[in-house]
This record gives sequence, structure tokens and C-alpha cells, in this order.
Amino acid sequence: MHKTLPGLSRRDALKFAGAVGVAGVVTVYPGRRVFAASDRSLDLAVERTRITIDGETSNAISIGGSIPAPTLRWREGQEVVIHVTNRLDEGTSIHWHGLLLEGVMDGAPGFNNYRPIGPGETYTYRFKLRQAGTYWYHSHSASQEQEGMYGAIVIEPAGRDPVRADRDYVVLLSDHTPENPENVLRKLKVSEGYYNNNRRTLVDFFQDAKRDGLGATINDRLAWGEMRMDATDLADVTGYQFLVNGKGPLDNWTAVYNPGERVRLRIINGSAMSIFDVRIPGLPMTVVSADGQNVVPVKVDEFRFGVGETYDVIVMPTEDKPFTFFAESIDRTGFARATIATREGMEGEIPEQRPRAILTMADMAMAPGMDHGSMAGMDHGSMAGMDHGNMPGMDHSAMPGMDHGSMQGMDHGSMQGMDHSNMPGMDHSAMPGMSHGAAGSKDQAVGWADAGTPPGAKALSYADLKALVRNKDLREPTHEIEVQLTGMMSRYIWTLNGQKFDEGASIRVAYGDRVRIRFVNTTMMAHPMHLHGMFVELENGQTDRMPKKHVVLVPPGQVTTVQLTADEPGEWPFHCHLLYHMASGMMTRFIVEPHTASL
Amino acid sequence: MRLSTHTLGAVAALITSTGLLVSPGLAFAAPGEAGHKHDTAAIGEPAKATPKTRTIQITMGDNFYEPETIPVKAGETVRFVIKNTGEFLHEFNIGTTAMHAAHQKEMAMMVDHGMLSATGVDVKKMKMDHSTMPGMGHSMKHDDPNSVLVEPGQTKELVWKFTKPATLEFACNMPGHYESGMVGKVNFQR
Repeated sequence: MHKTLPGLSRRDALKFAGAVGVAGVVTVYPGRRVFAASDRSLDLAVERTRITIDGETSNAISIGGSIPAPTLRWREGQEVVIHVTNRLDEGTSIHWHGLLLEGVMDGAPGFNNYRPIGPGETYTYRFKLRQAGTYWYHSHSASQEQEGMYGAIVIEPAGRDPVRADRDYVVLLSDHTPENPENVLRKLKVSEGYYNNNRRTLVDFFQDAKRDGLGATINDRLAWGEMRMDATDLADVTGYQFLVNGKGPLDNWTAVYNPGERVRLRIINGSAMSIFDVRIPGLPMTVVSADGQNVVPVKVDEFRFGVGETYDVIVMPTEDKPFTFFAESIDRTGFARATIATREGMEGEIPEQRPRAILTMADMAMAPGMDHGSMAGMDHGSMAGMDHGNMPGMDHSAMPGMDHGSMQGMDHGSMQGMDHSNMPGMDHSAMPGMSHGAAGSKDQAVGWADAGTPPGAKALSYADLKALVRNKDLREPTHEIEVQLTGMMSRYIWTLNGQKFDEGASIRVAYGDRVRIRFVNTTMMAHPMHLHGMFVELENGQTDRMPKKHVVLVPPGQVTTVQLTADEPGEWPFHCHLLYHMASGMMTRFIVEPHTASL
Repeated sequence: MRLSTHTLGAVAALITSTGLLVSPGLAFAAPGEAGHKHDTAAIGEPAKATPKTRTIQITMGDNFYEPETIPVKAGETVRFVIKNTGEFLHEFNIGTTAMHAAHQKEMAMMVDHGMLSATGVDVKKMKMDHSTMPGMGHSMKHDDPNSVLVEPGQTKELVWKFTKPATLEFACNMPGHYESGMVGKVNFQR
């Protein structure tokens, strides 16, 4: 990492990246195609490419020649035709995330009679847009999404947009690893804790800083993330670069405004594995839409952002100054950064990264039906092998949430011999005999829900979401489907109801039925649960204005319930949107059976 | 903002003797004090309609106005007929951007205290003496002459004289509505 390009200093490389990454209105990059509503059809090729992030180049896959893929701007009611040509040497697919459409057009191989697009083949998608809002599209094959196959969809409403803005930008977050994603999964299966280790040492970092001497603040902040001293279950893949519209923190994607303008940010979490806490210090965000569906506007300072979710927010900067869009992964290993400024090239202050939350047993306490004796789904076997004896020698001041300011004077030499690889899933707060002096103080985040939000700041809660339009189907659900989110962390097996995909039973509901889905998260991780084909209505305290969602983030140890009208016949994928969880089995079929025999 | 000392009895701008706008959107008075005169207001003043008064129809939706621009002439009196076709409570308020920003905080407080809900006005609570409420310490009413609240399905009127050219907006200051674009421009024409 942090290598310079041949023949280019890193600074030059960044300048170059900045120059080619100049953004116009609505994510228009030079050479990037944006499709107007009048376009009848479009062609998208899927091909191998290289991506340069913050001056580092690695392998990737693009749709339509860019990463992210071109923003598709459509209008509600329009019929769209998309020819997707596969130029890879493996099968591919494109799934239209959040769109209501016929099953075979949904683009998930193995479902609804849709088959992967073979090498050299072209598949034609054709569907009518039955909705408006912000959505996205991505590969539903292997780990291709992780390699760059994602892009934004913006559908203008047929009627009046209840939101008016002077500027409209897509802000697509993603996580990129220079590593082959198949290797990532293989390593996770070998050792769940693999990515919980430092891959770089402090010494490396300071040498880099001395050599490069640029972007000091950013590097510094990024490095704090890389210096992971312990393992938690907040995220299980690290080593990511976090991107905004395909740009790294140093590339600094910039949205331009004039003071006093209303700026609409269509924020999409298109990452494979990363849940973010998103904020723009100094600029409150008015959330106007969630998962493409309009909500009663609610003003917040920050929000937690599950994989696959989208939020549209309005910001109204009145001053002529740069604001930093800052999205920290919840494991605090890094951040995505962009700038909202009155012109290109401006940089706002990079905020301090917040401490990573330390999970407690309280995070596990709320899932009724859990067997606390055996900790269903958790493999405690691996914990027995933990060598606690090593720990007294550790300098705990280096743990996230402690005072990092004092780290420069640390003796780095003593750190190299430490083996943290057997620590995954450890809850440090629960360790007897350890000093937890910092726990509970304002420098320490405790429990999954604690995003480190400062006093007086407002973080969006699911309870704040209220549909702008009343729910159409107000029938009480006739039956309830329980979906247990289960896993065995040490072997990297993630399941639903304890069963891997296609080993478990499908969920079957009759067309037209009103059902309740009850997610019971028995694991120590949050799972963004995604249903294809239909929106679910989140039971968040609203009676007739439950927000419609396509992804529901279920916190660790919690129960979340949603309602749904099964009005889209087909067999729909229903899965955790954490890519490697889905790949390891956390998926099932949600079958909406028609009353008649023929589909 | 010194919320502890103001009432909302007169949200129209208060002009000092030097002619500068101070504390836009807020008028200062002890609870119970008589209303203020608006004869020097930069934003105009309430007026009475005559048969010759021009009428402008405004439609409110969730959360927007139709139309979003209203042409007026300096010195002209306009009768606004405002119909709320939406499902939420909306406001029609004439003022400057700064006045609206200040009023948004007050409206948020009224929502917090239950005087206003997303869909309507709680007349009882609105009339209560809120000075005993925590964090209020003053009375609070929504009876500004430059503003009218319109509940879903209702139609209300507001007659306003635009005394002299100014940079004015008509806006709904219910929480989040202004941000999502429920604001229009007053265009002074020659």
C-alpha cells in the first residue's frame, strides 16, 4: 500500500486523479455516460479493468466502462431496455437493487429462471419503471460487486417531486480491496480473525509518512484505523479502502455548490461489507428519502448506514467554505471522505475518527429465545484457546477509544511480537480482572448502538422514519415468519435459521397475503437483510406511515419486525447484504406463490 | 437567540431607530404586552382587502407550494387564498431567509411541546401559558400577522401589503419542510 506510481510522485498522481475526477452536476465525470430519460436503450459492457485509488492501482471490474458504473437517470413510467454484454471469462449478472420488476429481470442467478450471463453473451433487460427514487445496481454473481460492479439509479417521479433542490448529486459509498475477493472469502473460512490483524505496523506507517510527507492529516487518520489493536465483531473484513464515487479519501471527490443552494445528496451504501456512520460536520442533513421512498423530512447530524441502504438528504450550506463528508466504517478501520465546497480543490477539516464501540453482553441480551447458556450461533470453542497470559503485557492505551494522542511516544518495538490472531469475537469489556476504566466515559463507545454521537447531536434512528405517503395495505398480518440470523463465526459460516442457502427450507407465502417477518439476530454482528422484488414496511412505531425499505439493518442481539404484502409473484432472493455472509450461506428463497397453478 | 425574552406575538421584523434589522423574525416583549406596530417593517404589513385587491391562489402539497414564484409590485396589496391539499400541517409565512431560519427553530419547539403536530394545531395547548414549561420561560403563540397555518383540507386567507421592494420568500417552517423545498420567491416587478 501507499506505493508511488512509476514516473510520478505521489503528489502528482493525486493531482492527476483530482483533475480527471472533476465532477459536474449529478456525478458526471468526463467520459462517463449519463443516460437521459429520452434514451430508449443502453448498452453496458462488463469487463476487467484497473482502478486507481489514492494513487494505488489494482484489479477491478467495471460496468459501462467506469467505477462506479454510469449513473442511470430514468423517469417513472418509462420502459427501459438495457443490453448487458459480458466480456469477462466467467458468468456475470446485474441486479437492479430496490426496483419492482418481473422476476426474470431481477438479475439474481438461480432465482426466477434467470441464468448468469455467460462469457461473450449479451442479455437484454427490459422493464417498466414503477417507482421513483434513488436505487442502485450491482452484480449478483460471486464477489464481482466487491470488485467494482456497482452504480447508481436515479428515477425522477412521473409527477411532482416533493423534494426540490438546486443541485443533485449521487454519493455512492463502497469498499475496495486490492486483494482478490475469492481469496478474502477463503481466508475468512480458514480463520475468521484473519482480517482483524494489523497488516501494517506503526513503524511502516511512520516511515511512509516521513517518505511521503503529504496529506499528513489524512494519512494520520487513516493509519489510526489500520493500527487495529484488538478484534471485535463489528466487521470481519478489514484492509479496505473506502470510496465515494470511486474516489479515495486523498482523491477527494467534491460536490460543488453556491452558498444558499439546496443540495440533494443521494447517498448509497454500495459497499460489500462496510456499515458506516455518516456525517458532515457543520452541516445538518435533512433526510427526505430512505431506500428510494420519500419520508417526512427529518433533520439529523448523522446516520448509521447499512450495506445496500440509501438515504437522500438535503443540505443547505450558506457559507462559502468547504465541508467534509465523512463516513467512518463502524469498525473504525478507515473512512470515506468527500468534500462539499464552493469550488474544486477546496478541503475541509478531517474530523477525528471516533472510537470503535466495544460490544458488551448487553448487545446479546435482547434476543428472546436465545439460549444464553450455549450462546446459540456463537462458537465459544475458539475462545477457550485464547491465551490470556499474553495480555498483561499489552499496552491498553493503544486500544481504540483510548487516548490516541499519546501513542507517538510508545515503544513500538514491543508490539511486533504480539499475536492477536486468536482474539476474534472477544469482548474485552467482559474480561474479569481487566481494567475498564475508560468504558462508559465519553471517550469510549459501549454497545453496538453507540456511534459516539456527541451530546446535543442528533443521530437518525429507524424510529424517525415516517413514510411521506400513507401505507396502502393496513391489514393486520395473518401470519408471522421468524427468520433467525445465525452464524458460526470461527468457521465463517453464516446462515438463516441455522441452515445454509439451499440446505434450508424456502419461505413460502401466498400471493396477496399480508405477513410479518420477525428477524431475530442471534449473532454479535449487525446484518443488513435484503429482500428482492418487494418493499417491506418497517415496524418502527408508525401505524399507517411505516417506512418502506428494501434493506433492514438488524442490530446484534436484537429483534426487528417488518410487514409485507406479498404482491409480487416469484421466488425472490432474501439474504444478508454483507457479501461474504451471503456467499457463505446467509440466504434463502422467499417464494410468493400465485393462487393459480400457472405463473 | 434569546428565546427567554421574546414572544412570538409579532414575528414581523422590528426595526431600530437606525433602520437596521435586528434579530430578524423575533420581536421582544414581556408576556402579555400589547402587540407591536408594523409601520416600519421592511417586509410589508398586514392589510385589508378591498374589491380591487388582487387575489393569488396558492396550493399547498406535501411538502411544496404551487406556484413557487409570486409576482408583486411595490406598494401592492395582495390577498392570498391558500389551500392545503396535503395530509400535513403547513404554513404560509412571508419573510426574509433569516426570519424563516429563526422561525424554524420556534416551530420546532412548538412541535416538541405538542402545540403543533405534523397534521394540525392543538388549539388548547397553543393558548396555554407555556412559561411554566421547561426550556420555554415565555409565552408562545402562532399568531404572527405575516403567517398563517393551514391544516389539511383547509383554505385560509392572508392579506399583505408589500410596501417596498425586498428580498422575500414565502415559506413553510414546519420542521424539515423548508429544507425539502417548501419555499417560494416573491418577485418585485417594476
